[in-house]
Amino acid sequence: MSIDLNTNYGHVTITNEVISTVAGGAAVECYGIVGMASKNQIKDGLADILRKENFSKGVVVRQEDGQVHIDMYIIVSYGTKISEVAHNVQSQVKYTLDKTVGLSVDSVNVYIHGVQVAND
Amino acid sequence: MTIRTLDGATFAQMVLTGANHLTNNAKMIDALNVFPVPDGDTGTNMNLSMTSGANEVRNVVTNHVGEVGKSLAKGLLMGARGNSGVILSQLFRGFSKAVEDKETITTAEFAEALQSGVKTAYKAVMKPVEGTILTVAKESAQAAESLAQEHEDHIEFLEAVLKEAKASLKRTPELLPVLKEVGVVDSGGQGLVTIYEGFLANLKGEELPAHSGDLNNSMDEMVNAEHHKLAQDFMDTDDIVYGYCTEFMVKFEEDKLKETPYDEEAFRQALSERGDSLLVVSDEDLVKVHVHTEQPGEALNMAQSYGSLINMKIENMREQHTSIVGDQKSSESKQEKPKEEFGIVSVAMGTGIKEMLESLGASVVIEGGQTMNPSTQDIANAIQQANAKNVIVLPNNKNIVMAAEQAAELAEEQVVVVPTKTVPQGMSALLAFLPDQSLEENEKAMKEAAQQVKTGQITYAVRDTQIEGVDIEKGHFMGIIDGKISSSNQDKLQTTKQLLLDMIDEDEDEIITIIQGEEATSEEVETIEAFIEERFEDMEVEIHKGNQPIYSFIFSVE
Repeated sequence: MSIDLNTNYGHVTITNEVISTVAGGAAVECYGIVGMASKNQIKDGLADILRKENFSKGVVVRQEDGQVHIDMYIIVSYGTKISEVAHNVQSQVKYTLDKTVGLSVDSVNVYIHGVQVAND
Repeated sequence: MTIRTLDGATFAQMVLTGANHLTNNAKMIDALNVFPVPDGDTGTNMNLSMTSGANEVRNVVTNHVGEVGKSLAKGLLMGARGNSGVILSQLFRGFSKAVEDKETITTAEFAEALQSGVKTAYKAVMKPVEGTILTVAKESAQAAESLAQEHEDHIEFLEAVLKEAKASLKRTPELLPVLKEVGVVDSGGQGLVTIYEGFLANLKGEELPAHSGDLNNSMDEMVNAEHHKLAQDFMDTDDIVYGYCTEFMVKFEEDKLKETPYDEEAFRQALSERGDSLLVVSDEDLVKVHVHTEQPGEALNMAQSYGSLINMKIENMREQHTSIVGDQKSSESKQEKPKEEFGIVSVAMGTGIKEMLESLGASVVIEGGQTMNPSTQDIANAIQQANAKNVIVLPNNKNIVMAAEQAAELAEEQVVVVPTKTVPQGMSALLAFLPDQSLEENEKAMKEAAQQVKTGQITYAVRDTQIEGVDIEKGHFMGIIDGKISSSNQDKLQTTKQLLLDMIDEDEDEIITIIQGEEATSEEVETIEAFIEERFEDMEVEIHKGNQPIYSFIFSVE
């Protein structure tokens, strides 16, 4: 599945892989996120936190009736305001995709898959 | 006066002044906000977070620094908004953890607490972005450790820490390219410096100006100017869907809230249905709204059911945009168009081919081709229309080359004719054109490029004839390679397939471009594409709609 954009000069096809990598990259730049989680923990093993090349496992891009929805599975840091961190992720992912891919996202759903407790 | 030990009451006062000073400067900090999302709300967010922290501190009665820190951290966590607000909450969470059991603190302990805050804040992020509030907090905390050894007095100590924080803030554009691009320092970092300023002023018992004098005021304008430049560049006035930029605040009133309880999510949802660029932030007393909408009145009515409206501002963005763009356009049209260095005149048949040639760089495209040759006068007019010192003419048909050469002689400008005989030759020639080369060099390069490409055309015969040994009946289709008839058959697709087999050299050729004529159907194109893919699997196929008459297909092979 991919996203097609028509421009004056022709056609641009962007695969979901690209969208999920950009979305994942934007999300981990947000404060309060300590990692991306795999949406499928049993299949992908117990190692919770995904490395950069695997962001797409924690990001699902869905297209329904011409609308683009993104589901993200993240791990947040203990002691942060989770709702606010999630909200920051939503706005940053939407903004970054719009800026770099020219893609207007209709919804960014954030699933908090874990909380990392650091000793302090 | 020297303060060697800081007690809870003093620290609480410092926090309140810091929060207050941040409130006064929130707007200026908003204006600096370009990262990560340039939505201009960092100041607002930090202010709401800090105010929530300060409110908790105000409610606690104690002289124990640890207790004050705890309530500050709790208030910040509950009120945290935006990236910078969450970071701020983490900085003071770590801070309060370090002073938890302390009734009073020394400068060394203060420095230690700052460090602890930075550690906590950095733990909560996978990929810290330097050049932000995190950097300012880190660098000032690092400096604080050694500064605490020099200064036992809290005033001297904070003065030195603030100086370091400001220096660090000044360096943020070096670390974060987007800041440098816009020419601002980091907004979150500025927010933190503002809080520290408040801390120090309170210790010294000084009044702070409502606007921090350290920043030059032009920053405000810079951010706005950048914003406007973008709007002009990328938008048409007609593209504005929601015409009114509406900003207001609602001060909650209890009796109104009893009737319509405030629900931020529902309110945001209701507003988002009526507009975009939406921002709704609220605390216990206030909600701030920014929305672009067609019905500002409706938004105001909705908001009014929660309380009274304050600080309203509504702007007509269409008017603003038209006047900005209008100014620019009128100044452009006053100047007479200067002559370009190069102009290219080309001949095409079919709207699609015309567009393709224009997209490749032709300045003027004349309609014409087989059976409808443009006159010498047509070409001469086009040369003039190109409005250039040097004009290159691409006739794209052997019957037009002569007329083009005559027109070139008549023209006052420097004109050369690159005698392209087919559309693909013309396109190859256009691709070889380089505006920074001389006319002679371009002529040579374009002629060479035109020779590189093979042209195949499919058309039908208008009468019975025999050419070069091929018998052709009226109504049959003919395949023509570079002007020579190579195949003829009564079936269009059969002719086409034979033409392609004759034309393509699998070892040499890489790309085939199919230009679909007005008489060709998409099914035919698909069949041909499938045929090419089957027979020449390494060839790349490009398909364009040329809408040309007479020729069902034109093929270009390179």
